[in-house]
Amino acid sequence: MSAYVAAKNLSRVAAITGVGETDYGLDFEAARGRGGDRQPADAQTLMAVAFDRALVDCGLRPDQVDGLIVSVDNEDEDVAGIAAALGIEPSYSAVGDTVTPLGMAGMKGVVPTAVESLAAERCDALAVLYSSRSQTSRKQFGGTTYRGDGRHSYYYYHPWGWSSQAAHWALMFTYYQQTYGVPEVDLGQVALTLRAAATQNPNAIMRKPLTIEEYLEAPYIVRPLRRLDLCLPNDGAVCLILQRVDDASAGRRDPVVIAGWADDSVTEQKMHHLVKDRLSTQMRNAGEAALEMAGLTLGDVGHFQGYDASTIHLVNQLEGYGFAKPGAGLHLWKEGRFELNGQLPVNTSGGMLSEAYMHGWNYFVEATRQLRGEAGSRQIPDIGVSMLAITTTDSAHPLILTRGGS
Amino acid sequence: MMLQQRPDRVLGGPHDTFWMHCDDDELWMQQCETCALVQWPPAESCERCDSENIQWAHLSGHGQLVSWCTFERAYYKELSAPWETIVVELDEGPLFVSNPYGFSVSSAMLGKHVEVTFIDCEDSAGRFRLPVFSSCAPPMSA
Repeated sequence: MSAYVAAKNLSRVAAITGVGETDYGLDFEAARGRGGDRQPADAQTLMAVAFDRALVDCGLRPDQVDGLIVSVDNEDEDVAGIAAALGIEPSYSAVGDTVTPLGMAGMKGVVPTAVESLAAERCDALAVLYSSRSQTSRKQFGGTTYRGDGRHSYYYYHPWGWSSQAAHWALMFTYYQQTYGVPEVDLGQVALTLRAAATQNPNAIMRKPLTIEEYLEAPYIVRPLRRLDLCLPNDGAVCLILQRVDDASAGRRDPVVIAGWADDSVTEQKMHHLVKDRLSTQMRNAGEAALEMAGLTLGDVGHFQGYDASTIHLVNQLEGYGFAKPGAGLHLWKEGRFELNGQLPVNTSGGMLSEAYMHGWNYFVEATRQLRGEAGSRQIPDIGVSMLAITTTDSAHPLILTRGGS
Repeated sequence: MMLQQRPDRVLGGPHDTFWMHCDDDELWMQQCETCALVQWPPAESCERCDSENIQWAHLSGHGQLVSWCTFERAYYKELSAPWETIVVELDEGPLFVSNPYGFSVSSAMLGKHVEVTFIDCEDSAGRFRLPVFSSCAPPMSA
């Protein structure tokens, strides 16, 4: 359990200068056969849309993009094929090991890898391109059709009938409830808060305001978790354009500076760390290291985007990274602290529960818009520092983004 | 006791040793001779210190409930929903995913004392004894 701490000299070397994403809501309806003339998009189309929009956003031409890192799931495509389809010839390219921002061969984190590549001048303008088709591929997140990997995967538990990502979060919430005496209904505040934010995001899949009655009426999937405690399956793509800060300052918009990051992973006794410790050790280690790299403190953070595969895990991250005391997170949700106009707005585009399940990549887009002041009706006033946390069942990877420019 | 159909076990190597002991109604797990960690699931080396110097230890079969969840949709053709699962913290340390036997999780409490029992099961590799957990009295205080 050693936190990966990047060299401090990589802090504020690179910035996000362009963001692009697909039409989550429209593609979701198309994949359900409710899109009228609109057909479900294939992976190549999704990636091209996100890439083109990111280029428009930053004002670069395709031939100026000379770096490419891809994170895709369910697809056989290689990075060379993707580059060719986009019409670019990158001098530097790489493939993420996982579809989340966590995975990169040889070191952790796709975005940190991109920053290193820019710092080493392997390229000048790097596109990070993600796509996932968890809706149309009908990917199953449990059962015997799921082939896990590694020694900690849940196929060991098949004879007892325990499976699925959702079951991890269900075990976490049962333990949390028993430990802190929290009523089950309180968890609904997380779903309601994120949905309220999504109503201010025209691109979100779920934009209809949610009531606590509707939350409670949603069926249980893995008790004590209901359908609205779990993230959406949908198809989509995200593209980020990264440049060195010196080059970024010449761009059309204020750059969003990548100031810090770290990660820490569970290497043994995964169940113990997930259910009882709730990854608090990993989050504390990595959170402190990321802030230290950025030269900031927790009090500087004005916006938090946490991995909301499940409502309870988002509560868990607010506690684990230090924004709430252990066991106090849901109380603060009920008080409104994490709403759009609260002290620490959380997952302001609706997150993976209401905007889109983009494995955490949509957090970068939202943080960029917030830090630029382009978030429209959901804009947080005077925001200077955003913390993103890609926190899975066994890893914590926080990143610190700051507002650049004047 | 009726023979229950269950989803396939993971077999091969150290897994076979685990299930062989279960067939004798005994719960055995690997213990590292170097760092003393008792680990689950079985592996070729210690998950903490990577030592290959690991032995099998006969566990007490006693533990306490740590968590539980109920699957309200069927993930396996052999099992019907709702399907109850529990996590037991064994006295020797590991957290073990299993099923309640003779009680329902609706009456479960954190720290409830449980002990292992074995039931007749069958998967595509044949019959086997599956470790599950029933309520028991707390141990006599020391």
